[in-house]
Amino acid sequence: MSEQSSILKPVISIAAFIGFLILFYFLIGKDKTELPSQFINQPAPKFQVVDLLKEKLIHTEEDFIGKITLLNVWASWCPSCYAEHPFWRQYAKNKDIVLVGLNYRDTKKKALKFINQQGNSYQWILFDKNGRLGIEFGVYGAPETFIIDPQGIIRYRHVGVVTPEVYKTIFLPLIDKIKGGF
Amino acid sequence: MISKIVQQIIISSLLLFSIQVIGAIDSYEFKDPEIAKRFHTLTYELRCPKCQNQNLADSNSTLSMDLKQIVYEKLLAGESDEQILQFMKQRYGEFILFRPEMTKSNAFLWTGPIIFLTIFLILFFNWYRKNRMMNDE
Repeated sequence: MSEQSSILKPVISIAAFIGFLILFYFLIGKDKTELPSQFINQPAPKFQVVDLLKEKLIHTEEDFIGKITLLNVWASWCPSCYAEHPFWRQYAKNKDIVLVGLNYRDTKKKALKFINQQGNSYQWILFDKNGRLGIEFGVYGAPETFIIDPQGIIRYRHVGVVTPEVYKTIFLPLIDKIKGGF
Repeated sequence: MISKIVQQIIISSLLLFSIQVIGAIDSYEFKDPEIAKRFHTLTYELRCPKCQNQNLADSNSTLSMDLKQIVYEKLLAGESDEQILQFMKQRYGEFILFRPEMTKSNAFLWTGPIIFLTIFLILFFNWYRKNRMMNDE
């Protein structure tokens, strides 16, 4: 009995130690600064927001229905958005996916300057002057990009710059999945 | 005499500026002190989503300012604390609450200490009983 327990004891301690290491890996290994979106697999929030370029045009969440939409949150005060925009400029040639901009907490003058300098890659742009639409989507910075399926359901939210690498490894597989009926 | 007047002007202008600064920090006006108290509590209990370890009251990020403004508007519109917390939670998740509720994903964090304490106490009493038995023998 005592012999058996003398073998068991170190085995149990080592197992407990490894258990703790695994636990800590899962607790600490995650990027704590990235918040998970509350809207994954949920319909896009309801809204009524004016277009940045066409003042009289009002957009609602129903505009997302029918096609896969990438909703890109950007602002003229956001340095990463300038770095990200060349990718969207290239991407705009992709016709089966609608690229929509959400101009977050910006002034019209600066937003238009951004579009004039960087080129307009978006099919339409939501003008969220006071940031309230951003809050509806749970946005906490720019850039952020949402993938919305043809039923208007949000399937993914990416925080930070969408690089060709990110697009290839994260976006493309998800878009293929949505095309296949999710 | 003139220097005294100059001194008084400097002091009074300094006082004037300091009042302006105080005014700039807290621009929310409340007629009802009860609502002011609720605003204070809510902005202390809600976390700034952008800045990790600051509450809305202490944070000067634009997002915190916007969220504070929403809390203010909702209080004046007569919404309950529960409704306001729910609004924030729907958009930013549990993270926004400084005192998170118990859910499936954090159940271990809530119950972990009790489980570990129970295991420890059982082991300790076992060890203690064994030791005493050995001593008695």
